[in-house]
Amino acid sequence: MIPSLALSFFAAAALLAGFGRRLRRTAVWLALAPSVAAAATLLAHAPRVLDGEPVRESISWVPSLGVSLEFSLDGAALAMGLVVSLVGAAILAYTVWYQRDPIPLLGRLNLFAGAMFGLTVSDNLFGLFVFWELTTIVSYSLIAYDDRSPDARKAGVHALFVTALGGLVMLVGFVVLGTEAGTYRISEIAAAPPSGPAVTAALALVLAGVLTKSAQVPFHGWLPAAMAAPTPASAFLHAATMVKAGVFLAIRLAPVAMGNDVWQGVLLTAGIATMAVGGWAALRERDLKRILAYGTVAQLGLLTVLAASEATVAASVALLLAHAGFKAALFMVVGSIDKATGTRDIRELGGLRRTLPGTWVVAVAAAASMAGIPLTLGFVAKEAALDALLAASPAIAAAVAAGAVLTVAYTTRILGVFWGPERTAPSSSPAPGMTAAAALLAAAGVAFGIAPGPVEALSGSAARAAGAAAVALPAWPGPKPALWLSLGSLAAGWLAALLPIGPRRGTAAASAAFDATVDGVLGFARRATAVLQNGSLPVYLAVILATVVAVPGAALVTAAASPAGLVPAESWLQAAVGAAAAAAAVGLLALRNRLGAILLLGVVGYGMAGLFALQGAPDLALTQVLVETVTLVVFALVLGRLPERFDRPARPAVGAPIRVALALAVGVFVTGAMLSAAAGRADAPVSEAYLERSLDEGYGRNVVNVILTDFRALDTFGEIAVVATAAIGVAGLAAGIRGRSER
Amino acid sequence: MSAPSLPIRRRSTALLVPPILVVAAYLLFAGHNRPGGGFVGGLVAGLALALAHASDGPGAVRRITRVAPTTLLGAGLVIAGIAGAGGWLGGGFLDGGAVELTLPVFGTVKAASATLFDTGVFAVVAGMVGLVLESLSGEETPS
Amino acid sequence: MSVAALLPIAVPLVAAGLSMALLGRLRAQRAIGIAASAATLTAAVWLLIGVHHGGPVTVVVGAWEAPIGISLVADRLSAVLLVVAEVMLAGVLAFAMGRRGDERSMRFFHPVYHVLAAGVAISFLTGDLFTLFVGFEVMLMASYVLLTHRADAARVRSTITYVVVGLVASVFFLVAIALTYAATGTVDLAELASRLDTVPSSVRSLLALTTLVVFGIKAAVFPLFFWLPDSYPAAPAPVTAIFAGLLTKVGVYAILRTRTLLFAEDGPSELLLVVAGATMVAGVLGAIAQDDIKRILSFHIVSQIGYMIMGIALFTAASLAATVFYVVHHIAVKTSLFLIGGLIEDVEGTGSLRRIGGLARSRPLLAALFLPAALSLAGLPPFSGFVAKLALVEAGVSAGSWAIVGVSVTVSLLTLVSMTKIWNGAFLGEPEGPPAVAERRKLPVLSTAAAAAVVAVGLAVAAVAGPLLDYAGDTAAGLGAAVVEEAP
Repeated sequence: MIPSLALSFFAAAALLAGFGRRLRRTAVWLALAPSVAAAATLLAHAPRVLDGEPVRESISWVPSLGVSLEFSLDGAALAMGLVVSLVGAAILAYTVWYQRDPIPLLGRLNLFAGAMFGLTVSDNLFGLFVFWELTTIVSYSLIAYDDRSPDARKAGVHALFVTALGGLVMLVGFVVLGTEAGTYRISEIAAAPPSGPAVTAALALVLAGVLTKSAQVPFHGWLPAAMAAPTPASAFLHAATMVKAGVFLAIRLAPVAMGNDVWQGVLLTAGIATMAVGGWAALRERDLKRILAYGTVAQLGLLTVLAASEATVAASVALLLAHAGFKAALFMVVGSIDKATGTRDIRELGGLRRTLPGTWVVAVAAAASMAGIPLTLGFVAKEAALDALLAASPAIAAAVAAGAVLTVAYTTRILGVFWGPERTAPSSSPAPGMTAAAALLAAAGVAFGIAPGPVEALSGSAARAAGAAAVALPAWPGPKPALWLSLGSLAAGWLAALLPIGPRRGTAAASAAFDATVDGVLGFARRATAVLQNGSLPVYLAVILATVVAVPGAALVTAAASPAGLVPAESWLQAAVGAAAAAAAVGLLALRNRLGAILLLGVVGYGMAGLFALQGAPDLALTQVLVETVTLVVFALVLGRLPERFDRPARPAVGAPIRVALALAVGVFVTGAMLSAAAGRADAPVSEAYLERSLDEGYGRNVVNVILTDFRALDTFGEIAVVATAAIGVAGLAAGIRGRSER
Repeated sequence: MSAPSLPIRRRSTALLVPPILVVAAYLLFAGHNRPGGGFVGGLVAGLALALAHASDGPGAVRRITRVAPTTLLGAGLVIAGIAGAGGWLGGGFLDGGAVELTLPVFGTVKAASATLFDTGVFAVVAGMVGLVLESLSGEETPS
Repeated sequence: MSVAALLPIAVPLVAAGLSMALLGRLRAQRAIGIAASAATLTAAVWLLIGVHHGGPVTVVVGAWEAPIGISLVADRLSAVLLVVAEVMLAGVLAFAMGRRGDERSMRFFHPVYHVLAAGVAISFLTGDLFTLFVGFEVMLMASYVLLTHRADAARVRSTITYVVVGLVASVFFLVAIALTYAATGTVDLAELASRLDTVPSSVRSLLALTTLVVFGIKAAVFPLFFWLPDSYPAAPAPVTAIFAGLLTKVGVYAILRTRTLLFAEDGPSELLLVVAGATMVAGVLGAIAQDDIKRILSFHIVSQIGYMIMGIALFTAASLAATVFYVVHHIAVKTSLFLIGGLIEDVEGTGSLRRIGGLARSRPLLAALFLPAALSLAGLPPFSGFVAKLALVEAGVSAGSWAIVGVSVTVSLLTLVSMTKIWNGAFLGEPEGPPAVAERRKLPVLSTAAAAAVVAVGLAVAAVAGPLLDYAGDTAAGLGAAVVEEAP
């Protein structure tokens, strides 16, 4: 049932990609169907899950690696799954009116929804990773959706690299964690959490995934850049769901990670820094979408802080739900404004209260929840968080309150576009469907703010699944310290909005750092490759020979030995022939005349034949002589087409001393190796058996021929194929030369 | 490359080539017991082709072989394969089975399938020399 | 069963002969190609099934028992690699036959391609060190010819590096065989495995390191890889594709085989780990420095070889299984990427990322084929490359080799970087200049279908990753024992 829900998203995406245009109106229903079905199924299972009975299913994939698609629908999964399906449905509906040609976008959003849904309900670390990386890739494709824009492509790559890097490091962490726990199933790990230094290392590696995916400092730069995506995609991926995957994973791993100092310390530090950096940057932005993006960064920081401690897990789930609702609604609002007026710059916008009244109402309701005004879900969640933090750690509570001041300040800035004098007049009004979709989400924020019961049940169930306690979420907490802190930050934030904080100049530091890293890696790659792959054959050969001398040569130093009874030469004639061949080989190197070189090469070959003959191998000698002769004939055929002399390079790539040294070293190596190997022989060679059996059973007195045609006929069969192929090759090369001269 | 074709050299070629080819054949069939074999025989035959090519110029190779050198190459591989398959029917692939034959000149020839295999080697080597000669001297690639 | 082990070698050799004899009769050559592919593929599958159920198969070629004669040995490793290789050979043959244009070069392509197939089969199936050399030579000579056939001057020049390095490697291979024979008196692998025990350990490590250098050149490991990126990109698409898929992997196979069978005790694991890491890094750095599809992909071959060596270097049952799986995955994925790159060059006239763009819009089919293969190469789920890399990472973590795990993960990211570069450059955006070809060219139907089929094979590797990795695990467990066992 659960896998088929994820699958239905993928099926819809595939159908939309393949036949979307032909389906016309049906395509819209097709795009919405999986979300609605998923939401309905989740709600049907909700009572059971809220009672603490998760739904579990599994499909085996690579069992020997522990990779299976195991699913578990517990409290946390239910909360996140409802966000994916319900907020997703609203965004998909909005897309139908927002996007000029919505079908391709609807397809990819469904692909994303399937991946995100799979991530949400995964109960296996690797299964989760599969969907995690899938969301990364779809995110890339959505950011670079307008692929003709270089900025969009660059932003896509930025997001892809940062999150993929985190994902890969996290994968190693998963492997270590699973190895320590003896299982990769998350519910089993949670039931019997392992501990020890290896687990700490694993968690540290997993943190890389959590922090990159949830855009925490110092990796946050990709999220503002990702605003190049179409607005519905920004609302869905980069506000409501995907960026929460890191926080979600932190909650999932809470039973094993919560007590770990490294884990908690990093999450708290990164979260607080992210709240500060995101909130401040939002105040310095003038583009509505980028303000929202930095606002999301700040809110993700807050969520990370809350996910770090047992006391605040329940509040973090509640805030996650609240944020998904209000931030998606605000993105839709910004999309509507952008579409109606053609700009998102707050300096060019004003008085939209009168020209876009529907949008205004939605914006105010959603912004109220974001700022944490009473009777909204945002307020309820933040109150619960502050309440718990004040009891546990007042310093963190103060930091969260300071973050809330910044939130209120930039929220005020956003709402500013609805008041004041009119600047850019809307050329059209948003389609009612767009406003309705946003209104649904904004209204939910208010409704659950007044009656937070369902959210309380959901967050409580999620917290219990994570091994933490549920907390009460009253609509009105009464006069407690947390309330005064909340109201104080509201007032301070409203004042802070009036401060003259100027716009940012130049690119953001995080973005510049990413560019510098990419340029650095590329530059290093170019330089390294220019050295390693320099295109010079002499250098390549020198490297090969040096490797031969260095690697097996090193072993030779210990193996060096010479066989007993070593005879330098068996006769004067043998010594003379050998010396002549060697002299010809050396002379060959000095010669620049081509004809002379070929003749000397012949001398080497005939010398070898002589050695064979003296050694009592007439057959080998005969063959060698004939091969040399045929070679000379062939050389004679091509010699006429070549220059008379070899040209000597002005500056050889490898200097003569090095070449000489290498040649000598290789010669010494081969000789030494041969002597050592022969000295180490313990068994009789097979050649004795050849001689014995050649006449008796091979029916021949010429043992060389019997070896070639009988004992080792397969080798000969292969070698004649080599000979034939070589001939074809010569013909082909000649044909190539002729083809060129014809042209 | 058009070689200068002096009448005397042409006649000497006509006289020389057939005996060299006979020697090549002798080396092929005698190779199992005396120095020789398909490879050596093929090279000697190739030298005969080279001699004819050098004196008679383009077309000389084809006049001796009658078929394209590529056909010789291919036939050689196929013959070797057939010899192997024949051996396989008898015992195992590339198994040298034996038959005794008494022929004039060659004496007793044993080991038939090995000789058939060697014939394939002979054809490939001779074909190789022929193809190299033809293509390097600029004759159109045979087909 | 013995026929099944012989046919993959004998059929392509005879087919090469027929195809040479019928040179220029293109229809006949095509028919021979199709028939030979079908026969060898069937035999390979038959062999795989036989080995799977009945254990390793040993075939004595001729009437002579090894070590006098030569034996072919098919165990799980050789059988599975052979099947994958034959599938790729068939797919690339179909791709080549579907391409438009130069019929004159196709008539030479056919026989030489059969020779290449025979060389690959000999290398995988032989149980004899010298026959392995022959297999390499058969394969290499065919590759020289395929690279230079009707080549222009630039291609001949780039091939000279390949040929000269290949010849030098062959010389050292002969030296290694001579050393081995001098020390043991045999070249039969099964016999060697037992006789090497009596050889002094210093001589044994001399042999181990010499063969490692030789196979290292063939496999293109650091610092011996440079011949590959210089020569592969210049060749025609089907040639590059089959080289990329198979040739270096035969080198990896040889390292795997000799390390497990002959030199299991005195393997230079530390050295190999360093080599593995350096190979990954050098390859991927080269790749991200390039601007041409085939050059990028060529450098990635090198980088990926590093991963396979990593599994061999760790030398645990899990890591060897990971390497076997990696090789299978890589053969399929790499071949498909080069085929797609070839299709791009065919229709766009160039593979330079600067001069193409927007293919995702103009050629959605190519985009759909490229995407899964590229993501798989980068090791992203749910594709086969993910399973392969995960298997290696798990093996590395269990072995406690943190450095190589770190390197492998970093290189994985850089691989993604360069795949993104191709995607951004070729499939998104707009070409920077005027298109290289004026008219809109149609995708060749048969070639595109062949490329799609090879991509599908890569996806299938992911789908059956579970059983396949179990199989690879059994394979790894059986390595070393396989060759000395006789057929039932």
